[in-house]
Amino acid sequence: MIFAKKKITTPYTIEQCNSCHKEIKRKFKQGDCLFLETVKCPSCEGMLFIEKIFGETIGH
Amino acid sequence: MDLTNFDLDELFGFGDDSNPLMMLIWIIPIIIFVFYGQRIQLYVTSNDIKKNIAKLNDYRGESKTELINFVKNNLTFKADPTKKIETFLDYFSIMPVDMDPNGIIPKIQHFVRSREDYTREHVRSLCPQINDLDLSKVQTLLEIASTLQLLHKVTRHLFLTAKKQNNFPLILPLQMMLPFIMEQAEALKDAIPAFKAGQPVGDGIGPMVVGKMMLNTIKKEGAFQTVYSESEFEQRKIYLLKAQGPFSTVGRLGDAVKNLCSQQKFDAIIMIDAALKMEGEDSATIARGFGAAIGGIGVERFHIEEIATQKNIPIFAIIIKQSAKEAVGLMTKEIAETADEVLAQIYDTIKDNTKEEQSVLIIGVGNTMGVLQ
Repeated sequence: MIFAKKKITTPYTIEQCNSCHKEIKRKFKQGDCLFLETVKCPSCEGMLFIEKIFGETIGH
Repeated sequence: MDLTNFDLDELFGFGDDSNPLMMLIWIIPIIIFVFYGQRIQLYVTSNDIKKNIAKLNDYRGESKTELINFVKNNLTFKADPTKKIETFLDYFSIMPVDMDPNGIIPKIQHFVRSREDYTREHVRSLCPQINDLDLSKVQTLLEIASTLQLLHKVTRHLFLTAKKQNNFPLILPLQMMLPFIMEQAEALKDAIPAFKAGQPVGDGIGPMVVGKMMLNTIKKEGAFQTVYSESEFEQRKIYLLKAQGPFSTVGRLGDAVKNLCSQQKFDAIIMIDAALKMEGEDSATIARGFGAAIGGIGVERFHIEEIATQKNIPIFAIIIKQSAKEAVGLMTKEIAETADEVLAQIYDTIKDNTKEEQSVLIIGVGNTMGVLQ
C-alpha cells in the first residue's frame, strides 16, 4: 500500500550478570547465543551471560 | 422530500415520450452483465491474483538470492554451488498412499527423514569443512526457499488453469485461499534474516525456557540433534529435553521420549511450545492445557502420544501464543519476556500434579536456533 509505514526491526541482546543480576542492553552481534557467557560484569566479579535476544520494531 | 411521487415509466425510460437512448442505457448493461458477468468478475479478480503472484515470484527470487549469497559469503565450496542449490529447490516429496492408513506414520517418518538426511549429506559433500551450525542454517534456508518456490508454482498453476479455461468458479477457491498463502509467504520471507544471523525465533520460546533450566547440568544425547539432562525440584526428579542448540533444528523429540521412557518411569510429561494464536487473541499470552503440544507433520506427536498412552503418563501442555509471522521471525520482546512466567507455570504444574520422589519429563518444543542449553 502507498501509505503503509515501513517497519524496521532491530535485534537487541540483553546481558545479565550471574552475580549481581545487573542487565545491559546492547545491539545484537553476530555469534550471540542465548545463555552464552560473554565478558566480566563491569560492576562486580561476576560473568555476564546472554539472557534474552529479541527484535524491537519501529515504524518509519 | 416526497419519495412516493415518481413515475416508474419515466424512471426506466419506458414511457411514450421516452428517449430510446435512455432505454439503451438501461438495457445494454443488463445484457452485458447477463452474458459477460463472470468474465468481468474473472478479469477484476485476475488483476488482484496477478499482483499477488508477482509478489510471490519476488519472494521466491529474494529467498534464492539470499541463500546463494549466504552460501558464497560464508562457506568455501569446491565448485560454484548455484546450480546444485537450484536443483535442491526443485526437490519434491511424494507422500505415502493413504487409502489404507494403517502403518502410515513410519512411512511418513521414513520419507521426511530420508529427505533431511539427503539434503544434509549433499550440502556437506559440496563443502566438507562446513560446521554443524552453518549446515543447519543452510538446510533451513533451503527449506524456506523451496517452500516459497512451491507456493509460487502452485498458485500460478491454479490461476493459469482457471484463466486458460475461462472458468470463474475455479478461481474462487484460489481467491479465498490467497490471503492465507500470502501471510505464510511473507512470514517465511521475513524469517530469512533471523536464520542467517543465527537469532532465536518466536518458535524457540519452548527451547529457551527449558534451555535455561538445563544450565549447569550435564547434557547427554537423547536422540539425533536432541539433548537431555537431569535436575531436581522440591524432591522430584526432573528430566529436561530439547533440540540441541544453537543449531537450527527441532530435534527428534519422539525418539528421545521413547528412549527416556525405556530407561525411566515418568509420572508426568510437561510440554512447552509456541502455538498459533487465533484472530483477536493477544500475542505472547500463555495458556495451559492437556495433550502433546508439538506441531510439524505429526510424526513426533504420534510417538509421544503412543508412549504416554502405553505407560499411562499424563501430558500437560503450556503454550505461548503468537502469529505465524512471529513464530518464524526474530523473537519479539513480548515473547522473550514471557520466559520467566512460563518457568513459574512449569514449577506450578510440577507441584500441582506430582508428589515428592516422582519423576517429570519437561520438553521444550520448537526450533532451537540461537538457544544454548
